[in-house]
Amino acid sequence: MRTKLGMLAAGLGLFCLAAPVVAHHGFDTEYDSNKKISLTGVVSKVEWTNPHMHVYIDVTDARGNMTTYNMELTSPNSVQRQGWGRSSLLPGEKVIFEGYGGKVVETRGALAKIAKVETPDKPLFVQGGPEAQ
Amino acid sequence: MKQYLVISGTVAALTLSLLVRSHAQQQVRSVPVGRTPVIADNLVNGPVPRLADGKPDLTGPWLGGGSDGDMERDGGLKPGELTSLLLPAARALRAKREKAIYEEPYIYCLPMSVPRVNPYPWKFAMSYTSKGLTQIYVLHETGDAGAHRVVYMDGRKHPVDPIPTWWGHSIGRWEGDTLVIDTIGYNDRFWFDAVGTPHTEQLHTIERWTRVNYGTLVNEFTLDDPGAFSKPVQLKFTARLVRADIDLMEYICAENNQIGIAGGYLPNPTTPSPKK
Repeated sequence: MRTKLGMLAAGLGLFCLAAPVVAHHGFDTEYDSNKKISLTGVVSKVEWTNPHMHVYIDVTDARGNMTTYNMELTSPNSVQRQGWGRSSLLPGEKVIFEGYGGKVVETRGALAKIAKVETPDKPLFVQGGPEAQ
Repeated sequence: MKQYLVISGTVAALTLSLLVRSHAQQQVRSVPVGRTPVIADNLVNGPVPRLADGKPDLTGPWLGGGSDGDMERDGGLKPGELTSLLLPAARALRAKREKAIYEEPYIYCLPMSVPRVNPYPWKFAMSYTSKGLTQIYVLHETGDAGAHRVVYMDGRKHPVDPIPTWWGHSIGRWEGDTLVIDTIGYNDRFWFDAVGTPHTEQLHTIERWTRVNYGTLVNEFTLDDPGAFSKPVQLKFTARLVRADIDLMEYICAENNQIGIAGGYLPNPTTPSPKK
C-alpha cells in the first residue's frame, strides 16, 4: 500500500509539475517525462510572449561549457493573473530550476519549477502567486 | 488560518489532480489547467442578473462550457459512447490523428471553433443597436486567429450554400431564458478536441445556453453531422463565471509559437544547418 501511495504521490507530482504547459498544447506532444531536468543557471532572457512564456537560462558545467536552456511556461496572461509581473524575474538573476526536456531537443524544456537561488523555497510563476509566498 | 488555507488549497489541488488524472488515463496532455480565477463557490448559487430588456445577462466572462481534451469525456458521455457513433471514414481519420497529435490546427494558432473552449476566459458580447439586439459576438481570449465569432440575432436565415469557414454561419434566438444558437457552414479543418475527434462540412450544431444561477452557464449541445456520425449526438458542457476583476486580455498567439521544435516536428532554429 505504501508503495502504491508513493507511486501515486510521484504521479501527482509529475502531473502538477507538468501541468503549466498544457494550456495551449499537450505536454507529451513536445516533452518527455523521463527527461527530468534539475539545474542551476543564470537567466539570460524572459519572454512575456504568446502563446506561452519562455525563460532562457545559461547553465555552465564543471568544465566551463555553457548551455542555454529554453524553458516553456504557460501564457503570460495566466502568469499575470496569479500576480507575477515583469520585474519578478530579470536577466542576470541566478536561479535553480526543474523541468522536463524536449523529446528531441533536450535543451528546450517544460518548466516545472523555478526560484532565485537566494530564495529556493519561493517558486516563481508556476505555483500560486506572490501573495501565496 | 493561513496554514488552514494552504492545507485546504493543497488538498483541493490534489483532489482535482486525482480526478483529472483519472479521467486523462495517465495522459498529461489533455488537462484543462489554466489558472484563470473563477468566482468562489459560495457565490455560485446567487440569482441570475438580467439586462434592461429582461433577458438573462449571459455576458461572463466564462471559463469552460465546451470540449477541449476529449469531447466524449468533456461532454458527459460514457467511454466509447461518442466513438461508437463515428462512421468508418471518420473513425479512420480519428485513428490517424491520434498518432499525429502535433498536426492539430489549434496548436498552430488556428481557431478551435465550436464547441471547443480552453482554460482561458471567453464571453458573449451583446451588440445592441436602435433595432435592438442585432448581433452577439463570442469572444475567446485564445480563439485563436480570427477570434471573434458572430451570432446574428436579427431574424435572418442561413445562406443557402455558404462557403465553409472556421466558425460557420450562426443565427440565434431566445427561447425563454435560453439563448439558442444554430450554426452551419463550418469547414472540416478544426478538431473538436486534442484527440482529433473529426467532423465534416455537413456539421450542424445547436447550442442551448442557459444561465442556471449566478455562477453557472450550461451548454446543451446538439452535434448533427451525417458525414461523420451515424446519428445526432447530445452533449452537455458547463461553464463557471470568472472572477469579477478578470477580463479578456490580449493574446496574439502567433507572436512566438515554438510548438513542434522541442518535439522534433519542426527544425530547431538554434541548430546550424549542415553544410552542403
